[in-house]
Amino acid sequence: MSRSLAALPLSSLPRWFPLARKEARTVLTSKGTWLLAVFVFVFGWRPTYSGWELLGPSMSAGFVQVGVTTLVPLGVLVLSYGSVVGERTSGSLKFALGLPLTRTDVLVAKTVGRTAGFVLPVTVATVLLGVVGAFRYGLFSPLAFLGVLLATSLYLAVLVAIATAVSAVTTSTVRASGAVVGYFLAFVLLWSQLAVAAYSSLTGRAVNPYDPPADALLFGLLRLSPDRAYRTVTNWILGAGNAGESFTILAIKLAPGQSVNGYAVETAFAGASVPLSLHEVGGVVVLLAWLVVPLWLARYRFERGDLA
Amino acid sequence: MTTPAIDTDGLTKRYGSTVALDGLDLTVESGEVYGFLGPNGAGKSTTINLLLNYVRPTDGSATVLGLDPWDDVVALHDRVGILPDRYDTYDGLSARRHLRLVIDTKRSDDDPEALLTRVGLTDAADRPAGEFSQGMEQRLALAMALVGDPDLLILDEPFTGLDPHGVALVRDVVAEETDRGATVFFSSHVLGQVELVCDRLGILHHGSLVGEGTLDGFRDRLDLATDATVEDVFVELTEDGVRPEAERDEPVATAEGVSEGGAR
Repeated sequence: MSRSLAALPLSSLPRWFPLARKEARTVLTSKGTWLLAVFVFVFGWRPTYSGWELLGPSMSAGFVQVGVTTLVPLGVLVLSYGSVVGERTSGSLKFALGLPLTRTDVLVAKTVGRTAGFVLPVTVATVLLGVVGAFRYGLFSPLAFLGVLLATSLYLAVLVAIATAVSAVTTSTVRASGAVVGYFLAFVLLWSQLAVAAYSSLTGRAVNPYDPPADALLFGLLRLSPDRAYRTVTNWILGAGNAGESFTILAIKLAPGQSVNGYAVETAFAGASVPLSLHEVGGVVVLLAWLVVPLWLARYRFERGDLA
Repeated sequence: MTTPAIDTDGLTKRYGSTVALDGLDLTVESGEVYGFLGPNGAGKSTTINLLLNYVRPTDGSATVLGLDPWDDVVALHDRVGILPDRYDTYDGLSARRHLRLVIDTKRSDDDPEALLTRVGLTDAADRPAGEFSQGMEQRLALAMALVGDPDLLILDEPFTGLDPHGVALVRDVVAEETDRGATVFFSSHVLGQVELVCDRLGILHHGSLVGEGTLDGFRDRLDLATDATVEDVFVELTEDGVRPEAERDEPVATAEGVSEGGAR
C-alpha cells in the first residue's frame, strides 16, 4: 500500500498519515490477523437449503455476514486492546507522542491505520467467499456484495475504535483486556438477552422469543449493539429481511410453517405497519454512533491524562 | 536577548501526596548545552516529561522555544528532537522504518541512510529493532531525535546502555548540533561525560533546583578545589544529610553568586 501512496506528496495527506501507515503495517504483519481472515472463510461458508430459498445466489454474500460475526469481533478486540496501553507500559508511546501530533491525532492514526490493517485481510477472505460461492451457486448482484463489504469495513472500524478507546483510557493491559471481554460478553454474546431483560423491566411485559411482541421499543433495543446493527444492515442489503439475526436463522424464521427462537420485524409486525424507527438504515446510525462516541469520550481523558 | 529555549516558572508535579517536582524555575538559554543532573528520583525525567507534554503539570507553567507544551504541541515537536528515557522501540519495525515515521511526520527531507550512518547503524538499517541490543536501540533513538535539524534537542539519559564508542558518539553529535546552532538539554548520571559536554549545569534534588551554573562557578561558590569534578559538586549539593525542607529555604547556589529568591 505504501508504494502507491508514496507517489502522493506527504503534504497533501493528514499529518497523522505516517503513523497510521505504521499501525496498518503492524496489523498486517501479525499472524493473528491472517488467521482471523482464514476463520472468516472457514466459518462463513454456511450453505443451507433455507438460505438458498430466501436469497438464491446472493447466499454467497450472506456467507460474509456469518464469517464476520463468528470470530471477528473477539479477534479484532483481542488483537487491538493493547494498542495504546501496551505502548504506554512498554514506553514506545513516547515516540508516537514525541511526534508533531496532538494526542487526538495519535488516536485517529491508531484507529484508521489498524482498521485498514484488518480490512485488507478480511476483504481478501470475503472476496474468496464470493468467488467460490459464485462458482458453486451462481452469480449474484455485485452491488449487493460491495454493499456488504462496505458494511463489513464499517463494522471493523467500529470494533477497532472500541478497542482503541478502551486502550486509551486504561492504565494496564490487564484492565484493558477485562474491558474488551466485558464488551464482548455484553454486546456480542448476551445482547439479545440483555435487551429483552431491559425491555421487560421497562414495560413489565414478558417476551417469548419465538413470538415476540410487535413493539418498536423491543426491536429498537435489540439493534443497539454493533453486532446486531451490522446484521441488520447486511440483511437489508441482501434483501433477507429486517432483523439483527444472522441470515441463516432469519431464513428459517421467515419460512412458512417454521418457528425458531429469534427476532424478525416481518414476523412480529405481520399485518401491522412497521414504525419508521425500525427502518434498517437505523443499523448504519447505530454503527456510526459506536464508531464516534467511545473514541470521543476516550479522547477527552486521553488528551488530559499523564501518559508516562 | 533571544527567547530562552526552555523557561519554567514554578513548575510542579504531584502524584497523589508524592511531590515529584516542586516549583521548578529553570531557564535554558538558546544555543547552550545544559546538563540536568540529580540523584535517582530527583525529578529529572518528570521535568522532561512535562516539557514534552507526556504528563501535565499540577501547578506552574513552562514554555519551550517560546511555545506551550500542550497548546502548541504540533508546532513545538516539529522543532524539537526527543530522545526519551525508558522507551521501547517498535519490535517488528526496521531501523529505516523507525526513521521514516519521524521523517515523514515531520515532513523533513532527511535521508534515513545518512542518519543511520551518523549514529553507526548503517549495516542494521533493515533489521527489525526487536533484535537490537540496548546500545543499538539507543543509537536508533538518537538518530530519530536528530531528524529535521531540530532547534532543541532534549536527551533524557542519552548515555544509557552505550559502550565507550557510543558515549563518544553522543558527545560528537552534541558538538555538531550546537555548532549548527541547536540548543541541547540533557539529563544524566554519567557525570564525567557531563563535564566534557556541558556549558552549564543544573542540579536537581528532591524536586528542586539546588544549584545552577558553570563548573568553575560551582568550584568557587562551594569552596572546592580548582580541579574539583562535577562529581564533587554533585555530592556536595545532594548529600542526603541535607534535608530537603531545609534546602528549600536556602538560596540557590548559582555560579554568579547567590540568587535571592531561591528555589521554592
